[in-house]
Amino acid sequence: MSILIDEKTKLIIQGITGREGTFHGQRMLEYGTKVVAGVTPGKGGSEVFGIPVYDTVREAYLKTKADASILFVPPKFTAIGAYEAMDAGIPLVITIAEHVPVHDMMSVYNISKSTGSRVIGPNSFGVISPGKSKAGFMHDKIFTQGSVGIMSRSATNCYETVFLLTNNGIGQSTVIGIGGDMIPGSAFIDYLGMFEADEQTKVIVLIGEIGGSDEEAAAAFIRENVKKPVVALIAGKNAPRGTSMGHAGAIVSADGTGSAQNKEEKLLAAGVHIAEGTEHIVQIIKDLKCV
Amino acid sequence: MCKMKLLEYMGKELLSNFGITVQKGVVISSVEEVSQRARDLKPPFVLKVQILAGGRGKAGGIRFADDIKGAEKICSELLGKEMRGCIVKKILIAQKAEVKTEWYLSIILDRQSKCPTVIFSSLGGIDIEQTAKTDPGRIAKITINPLIGIKDYVARYIIESCGLDRKHLDELNQIVCNLYRLFNEYDCTLAEINPLAVAGDGSLMAIDCKADIDDSSLFKHPDILEFRNTIDENPLTIEARKFNFLYIPLDTEGDIAVASNGSGMLMSCIDLITKNGMKACAALDLGGGATSERIAEAVKIIFKNKTTDYLFISIFGGITRCDEVAMGVKLAIEAGLNDKTVILRLEGTNKAEALKITQSINGNVIDVKSISEGVKTLKSGRKNI
Repeated sequence: MSILIDEKTKLIIQGITGREGTFHGQRMLEYGTKVVAGVTPGKGGSEVFGIPVYDTVREAYLKTKADASILFVPPKFTAIGAYEAMDAGIPLVITIAEHVPVHDMMSVYNISKSTGSRVIGPNSFGVISPGKSKAGFMHDKIFTQGSVGIMSRSATNCYETVFLLTNNGIGQSTVIGIGGDMIPGSAFIDYLGMFEADEQTKVIVLIGEIGGSDEEAAAAFIRENVKKPVVALIAGKNAPRGTSMGHAGAIVSADGTGSAQNKEEKLLAAGVHIAEGTEHIVQIIKDLKCV
Repeated sequence: MCKMKLLEYMGKELLSNFGITVQKGVVISSVEEVSQRARDLKPPFVLKVQILAGGRGKAGGIRFADDIKGAEKICSELLGKEMRGCIVKKILIAQKAEVKTEWYLSIILDRQSKCPTVIFSSLGGIDIEQTAKTDPGRIAKITINPLIGIKDYVARYIIESCGLDRKHLDELNQIVCNLYRLFNEYDCTLAEINPLAVAGDGSLMAIDCKADIDDSSLFKHPDILEFRNTIDENPLTIEARKFNFLYIPLDTEGDIAVASNGSGMLMSCIDLITKNGMKACAALDLGGGATSERIAEAVKIIFKNKTTDYLFISIFGGITRCDEVAMGVKLAIEAGLNDKTVILRLEGTNKAEALKITQSINGNVIDVKSISEGVKTLKSGRKNI
């Protein structure tokens, strides 16, 4: 099974004629992703590696009935690109740019609640269901198909974990880049239920970090709704207060809100296995003996 | 950095531009300017140091003067002085306001609701966190749906729930709406007026102001961007920014710097180092795709901090090529950093080529296979452990 995307998922690439859009578009096609259309204003009617390009997402959607759209556009155009995709009725919108203004994302998030679209990112590598499809720019060779479902606010910690899992013969069902920003389009809580219901997924890995309260919200959800084992890593335990650690969202407030300690306590109380580092995640999964 | 904090006088300039009344005042950066610039102000004056640190009052950074002479004396005392870790470079001289009551008003970008939230308290002049603990009944908190924005019922609710006189409704509504406009137009994560003073005649005035602006939006605000370079920051942070690196100073007692191609891995490396009883003094985020020339600059910047003896570089290379990283380390180490130790953990693109390069480095560079091996090497290699 896997969640969000698979070999049948029809994908639109917004910004397909740009440098990044073309480069990663080709990689996605090679991986087996069903890219059905591209969108670049002013380039409608042309083609990129045999894939039709449209001027608008609406036209691309009407012609292809795509399931998802990914935005390879600069941060300042991410909000408008996401509006266009949501307005056209695309159910899954994947944004990857770093440095999208937080007010833009606040707006995208609140509009997604009214259109019913699901938004992943920004500041994310995208989403991949190994062996089936990828929508993003992740280094796909390290992924293998299997039964660990992963979601991560950090790309590097996620790659590291996936690499170690694969080297230990443990594959992944779906891996989601939640993104490192203050207001992500969706958070852990939006995927826990899906992983719980997914037959392929046997273990859920949550890679969080300091800042915000998405891990705490996930803990409350897990306690009530998740029976599968969950392993969590919270990065940034030793970050100074009030200092952003590179990800815009990775910041502990002066009053201590968003601290790693609070997140770990809540997750632990919900029965989640807490890992000290990426290598420890793999060790815990091995010890669980369920994959 | 993810947000830029504005100094009080800049925040007040914005408030004033958005129609919110502030005290008449001027900013000076030398004693000589005082008599010239403050001559149109009506004494008595309040003088406030312009630094990005809290607790200015307690530190003696807010003073009063009856005339220009007195103001000059205070300015000569305070300018150039270190206060709460900042050097006083500017002082705001303002007409002392008549204050009967002090309120608190702010709009924050709330991460939990993912909406702007208006916070009002009829107890101003102190931290809102303190009021929340001691007097929660005097706080009104209203989550704003950004698709609706602020309408007049927000101010009406504040007046009603805090039990204030209805005569303040119109003016409070104006201020709340204007502050919301500023919050949106300047991409604020925080816009705070504290205290919001109520004068004897009932009129309202912003006495102090904090504004935090989202870093990612600065391309829209050239006026703010210009100010950024005048802020006191770690000189290595400023130097690193020239090369598009993020340098974060950490524990001043640490001797290990950590560099990586992503902030998540940086944080988890620092966590493991700390867990093993060592201290990290700095973190440097290389971002993706750095060339050997840029890596060499990063290594040089890191070792400019005198307490840094060890550098742990952990790379999981997709866009970042391991051979470029190894070559960058070679360039920097062989250019006069042979007394330093670099622990290299390289994984991903062009790893094999990278290992050949590191073996050729004339200096103290150790290859490790994993993050935990790197931490172990650091622990056994350091004399004082």
